[in-house]
Amino acid sequence: MSLIDVENLTLQFRTDEGLITAVDDVSFSLEPGEIMGLVGESGSGKSVTAKSLMRLNPDNAVYGPKSRIILNLDSGPVDVLKLRPGRGMQIVRGGAISMIFQEPMASFAPAITIGDQMVEQLLLHRKVANEKEATTISIEMLERVGISDASKRFGQYAFELSGGMRQRAMIAMALSTRPKLLIADEPTTALDVTIQAQVIDLMKDLVADFGMGIVFITHDLGVIAQTADRVAVMYLGRLVETGTVRQVIKTPAHPYTKGLLNALPKLDNLSAELTPVPGDIPSPLERPSGCVFNTRCSVSLGTPCQTRIPDYSYVGEGHEAACLLLEEEAVKA
Amino acid sequence: MNEIVNNGDNKQTLISVRDLAVHFPLRGGWFAEKHVLKAVDGVTLEIKLGTFFGLVGESGSGKTTLGRALLKAAPISRGTAEFADGEVDYNIAELKGKELQDYRKRAQLIFQDPYASLSPRMTVRDIIAEPLEVMKLTSSRDETNERVREIAAKCRLNLEHLRRFPHAFSGGQRQRIAIARALVSSPGFVVADEAVAALDVSIQADVLNLLKGFQRDLGISFLFISHDLSVVAHICDHVAVMYLGRLVETAPTDKLFSHPRHPYTSALLSAIPSLDPDDRAGGQKLEGEIPSPTNPPPGCTFHTRCPFARDLCRQEEPQLREFDDDHFGACHFAEEFDFTREHGGRAA
Ligand SMILES: Nc1ncnc2c1ncn2[C@@H]1O[C@H](COP(=O)(O)OP(=O)(O)OP(=O)(O)O)[C@@H](O)[C@H]1O
Ligand SMILES: Nc1ncnc2c1ncn2[C@@H]1O[C@H](COP(=O)(O)OP(=O)(O)OP(=O)(O)O)[C@@H](O)[C@H]1O
Ligand code: SF4
Ligand SMILES: [Mg+2]
Ligand SMILES: [Mg+2]
Repeated sequence: MSLIDVENLTLQFRTDEGLITAVDDVSFSLEPGEIMGLVGESGSGKSVTAKSLMRLNPDNAVYGPKSRIILNLDSGPVDVLKLRPGRGMQIVRGGAISMIFQEPMASFAPAITIGDQMVEQLLLHRKVANEKEATTISIEMLERVGISDASKRFGQYAFELSGGMRQRAMIAMALSTRPKLLIADEPTTALDVTIQAQVIDLMKDLVADFGMGIVFITHDLGVIAQTADRVAVMYLGRLVETGTVRQVIKTPAHPYTKGLLNALPKLDNLSAELTPVPGDIPSPLERPSGCVFNTRCSVSLGTPCQTRIPDYSYVGEGHEAACLLLEEEAVKA
Repeated sequence: MNEIVNNGDNKQTLISVRDLAVHFPLRGGWFAEKHVLKAVDGVTLEIKLGTFFGLVGESGSGKTTLGRALLKAAPISRGTAEFADGEVDYNIAELKGKELQDYRKRAQLIFQDPYASLSPRMTVRDIIAEPLEVMKLTSSRDETNERVREIAAKCRLNLEHLRRFPHAFSGGQRQRIAIARALVSSPGFVVADEAVAALDVSIQADVLNLLKGFQRDLGISFLFISHDLSVVAHICDHVAVMYLGRLVETAPTDKLFSHPRHPYTSALLSAIPSLDPDDRAGGQKLEGEIPSPTNPPPGCTFHTRCPFARDLCRQEEPQLREFDDDHFGACHFAEEFDFTREHGGRAA
């Protein structure tokens, strides 16, 4: 049974300028022990999708009527979007899901030490006997993410740590409760490559040890290649391609995914120009009709792409992409 | 210590750092060791006018602190840092009053953590406009708005969103707001601390091309702090590598990437994650305990994790010296090591 099933997730924000669609009909599921990479353009809706899994979006968020997020816990399935605030939400936030936020400073209270926050979290969420045990577990976790002098760092405030240490302290805090599902939003943006490798190994260990599932959001395709089992690619609120990490990185099918891979800085030719996906990022207030990518797509078919929303086409076993060109090819074949 | 030679293009030196140290006092007196944390210790380097100078190194090695010290935003405990752009000549540690104000116009910081650096109660327009208004660089509100819109568009921000507050933006969008704010006043020197870390590779390429354009067209110099070595390889002219508060190697980019001389640099380059999912072996992993900046190991600070460490390394601290033209490093045995690499890294 899958750990989490997201069905037809649509999410809009009420703003002064009007309703903004941040997530548009997104579906995916995650098995226990599976790592799913979520990549895509900045602003495409990765973080708000992730926050939906814990209903952490602000009050101006409106979920679509058909949206369902089913979390399969030991105690049975829960529809996260139907839970009442308060007691109901405790099921979800009570330690079964942990989230590593994109901006570490946002998740540490400035006036409480790192250690006190970790201990508090553990006492709240995990069956630890007392503060002493919670302290031992926390310090051990800080060591496992490569923080030297962990017992001293334990007593420091977030602002006294370097950016990468803060990020690792947050990872340690999220992992210490041994969650069933870990949502990691850009967890390695501040880590140098050697420490990054160590932190990723730790996450993989926990996946193997007790079947934790991870939704891993990152723009670092190298990290995805090294970590994820499957990859989902988002563009302007839509999932445009999903597949195994091998399929998506080695044989991308959607023009956006191809453009993204093409923009990677290549280490075998340092003087090569960096090549972004061309064109302007559409305003979320004026989402393109038809295929959301058509305004920037170099192989667009014109009118069909501007009017019809492409279905998911079969590309290979477990590999799908939403592009009209693929539908055409399927018809021809 | 060697006098740093001026190689090749004879560019004028913009920033000259000598034996710079930033030590933070540690709270509480309950441990017996020295009560300071040596975040930066004895760094010497030069940044030439108009260069893109990369700063890489382990998390916690002092990159942010060094960058902040150069902007007089972290206390300098020892050594000197001089800023000379042709118009003014400042000793950064001693700046105050009018001169400090003037320096703030010439040098800007893009913070590592945009969340913490953007005021939640200001609209994005006001955040970006603030430097222009504080420094009185524009003569009318229209002119200010024009400059704000221009830089926002260049940073790929949607103009209709300028009236919103920062919380309504994604992480990468916030990062671009911070970049726009730092660049709007056209400063001469910018410290960019992990400034593109939250951007997808396509927008990252866009923003990097933008920064490169500022360097090329306006002669702006950058101190570019990043953990992303492939980005550094592409955009920087010169790179310095830090480890535990010290500079361990510095060289022009192509030299550093093709012929690293310090074992730490070599380990760092080999750990770049491969883009090939079938190549998950990983590079050379660093074993051994990560030392603490409150109690750094004697001798070479890297010896606890260096695969090549010998007795001398445990006893004597290696000094930064020049191996060949403009290529400096601090390792006793660097001349013996040849870490020549086919490509810049494993990821091809
Ligand atoms: N509270 C909010 N009110 C209005 N719009 C919002 C709010 N939060 C997010 N958005 C908008 O929703 C869209 C998706 O944001 P999200 O943070 O999910 O992007 P992302 O894919 O995580 O991007 P990044 O890679 O830059 O972090 C963005 O256009 C953002 O401006
Ligand atoms: N205000 C402060 N008070 C006490 N210690 C500090 C302070 N700022 C930084 N430090 C310490 O100085 C050292 C260097 O930190 P710095 O932020 O410069 O590292 P960094 O190289 O930027 O790391 P990262 O890549 O993780 O951002 C760390 O040990 C950090 O804990
Ligand atoms: S559907 Fe059309 S516009 Fe969209 S990606 Fe495919 S070809 Fe390009
Ligand atoms: Mg995000
Ligand atoms: Mg830093």
